[in-house]
Amino acid sequence: MERDIPIFLKIAAVLGFVYLLAPIFVVVLAGFNSSDFLSFPPDGFSLRWIKKFLSSDKYMTSFLFSFRLAFMTMVVATVLGTIAAIFLSRSAFRGKGLLRTFFLSPLVLPGVVVGLSLYAFYLSTGIGLVRTVWGLWIGHILYSTPYVIGTVGAALAVYDVSVEEAARSLGASPWKAFWKVTFPNISSGIQAGSIFAFIVSFGQFEVSLFLSAPNNEPLPIAMYNSLRYKFEPDAAAAGIFAITLVIASVLLTNRLVNLHKMAGGRLK
Amino acid sequence: MSYVTLSGVSKFYGDVPAVKILDLEIQQGEFFSLLGPSGCGKSTTLRMLAGFVKPTSGDIIINNRDMTHLPPEHRNIGIVFQNYAIFPHLNVFENIAFGLRMRKTANDAIKQKVEAVLEQVGLSGYENRFQRELSGGQQQRVALARVLVIRPEILLLDEPLSALDKKMREEMKYWIKGIQQQTGITTVYVTHDQGEALTMSDRIAVMNEGAILQIGSPSEIYEVPKSRFVGEFIGESNTVTLPLGTEKDGYLGVRIGGVDLMARRAPETPENLGTGTILIRPENMILSDTAGQDATPVKGRIRSETYQGALIRYEIEVDEAVLVAEVHNTPELVTRQSGDDIWFGWHPDSGVILPD
Ligand SMILES: Nc1ncnc2c1ncn2[C@@H]1O[C@H](COP(=O)(O)OP(=O)(O)O)[C@@H](O)[C@H]1O
Ligand SMILES: [Mg+2]
Repeated sequence: MERDIPIFLKIAAVLGFVYLLAPIFVVVLAGFNSSDFLSFPPDGFSLRWIKKFLSSDKYMTSFLFSFRLAFMTMVVATVLGTIAAIFLSRSAFRGKGLLRTFFLSPLVLPGVVVGLSLYAFYLSTGIGLVRTVWGLWIGHILYSTPYVIGTVGAALAVYDVSVEEAARSLGASPWKAFWKVTFPNISSGIQAGSIFAFIVSFGQFEVSLFLSAPNNEPLPIAMYNSLRYKFEPDAAAAGIFAITLVIASVLLTNRLVNLHKMAGGRLK
Repeated sequence: MSYVTLSGVSKFYGDVPAVKILDLEIQQGEFFSLLGPSGCGKSTTLRMLAGFVKPTSGDIIINNRDMTHLPPEHRNIGIVFQNYAIFPHLNVFENIAFGLRMRKTANDAIKQKVEAVLEQVGLSGYENRFQRELSGGQQQRVALARVLVIRPEILLLDEPLSALDKKMREEMKYWIKGIQQQTGITTVYVTHDQGEALTMSDRIAVMNEGAILQIGSPSEIYEVPKSRFVGEFIGESNTVTLPLGTEKDGYLGVRIGGVDLMARRAPETPENLGTGTILIRPENMILSDTAGQDATPVKGRIRSETYQGALIRYEIEVDEAVLVAEVHNTPELVTRQSGDDIWFGWHPDSGVILPD
């Protein structure tokens, strides 16, 4: 594949990587910094902030809370997003395009808008969701589901419906045809979507800012709150763990589905 | 009693008809083709037979069972799609075993039946291959094996050759026909290619704009088209509008180049027309280079001569019209120049007067 790529493109690619990876690099170095403050370049290497993070009740609680929240969000978003994507790809009614735009709108709406709207909604309807775990969960599901709709929709777009029809004609009920034929052929899209949903929920900030309860803070909110008062590198240490988790998820996704393939939209 | 009966079947999408009114009877063991241009409703008809499309009106009876409201999985019909629709996640063996597994066939029997059908389609040893490891022709064999193995009551094929290259298409044409004859399975074959329909079918239904225009054997369709559309869609043809003359011995005179050539009336052509549309196939034009022959009374002029290998094609001007003639390329054939005089005629049975 790597044939005759012009040199300026190679340089642009390297610059792009540097731009994307530099902040991560800085956070990782800051987390291993021996100084008393978040600073760059680091004064020396030390595990003190890592240890502080691991022994900090506040951070560990919010890390685990974020993990549980992201997991539960992933489960619901995967189911809802898959059903929505199948509906969008199969039904023939007129307002479909509009509905798709509506389903995908959280992708383009600023998180602040989604968070604030939900907050106002919970508040004005008085359904007891203001600053509760349930309310936060709903917000995360709303925000993550479009990613599943997107990846499953992409998988369905290259999936030939006549394959499912062939199964029907050979004697499979609609239910069987879906599970035995359609599902295995779009499962890579479903898996990718669910991992995206996990990552998006885990890193979500704006929606959480409006919806999380003080005793149940997701990690990004906890980091933000702690940095507001003191400029300590344990936030960077928390960042290291978050980054590790995300990288692990991406590697896992890559093992399950070829991300290359999804990004390149390879058809066959 | 016919094996497959469609009575008053139509399909409308909103107000737009995909299939208008269809009445059709197909006999057991018959190779029946639906032939027509793209968009004329062939696939819709086939998909109604398979159960993927609900007819707006009408009844579908197959083997004495009313199928009209039955879902596809209860019809016991085999369908081969244009792109074969091989299950990408299953190997050849499991693709073919799929229908048997749905029927809860025992594993031993599955193995035996799959091996037998693989043998039949010439793919023994391909059990473990996946779709991406198969050529188009091989995928088609798998698709056919996958439906044959369940012994369907009818076999439906939707333009199965259109995704193949020309050479493969020729080969598979005879191969599919051979398999159909071996198994004796009632087959409905959809195609827009008149050559395929003519070589493979027992009977052909020519469709246009959601309706059947004519049903008949390939030779009936080719030699006695009932309408201009059928005549022009099947094979090459000259269609010219000419004044009609007097009737004699059941044939009707057609005035061309100052001479009355005899032709026969198509079954639905009304009598007492002043002018008529005449259809004559290029290969039925009889040519001669000298005047005064009985078989070639009309004088025309060569407009062009085209070499086509086995055939030589001429365009002949007469009156205001241009007629195409094709003759076999034999060693004794003389070269004719554009502008040369030529005399032509046709056998009364090969000229058809169409209702138009
Ligand atoms: N699901 C559908 N919705 C609306 N129109 C359709 C649908 N399926 C087919 N049609 C229309 O019905 C007509 C016949 O289609 P089809 O049966 O596929 O034709 P063919 O197979 O002869 O090319 C076409 O005009 C097509 O656009
Ligand atoms: Mg079609």
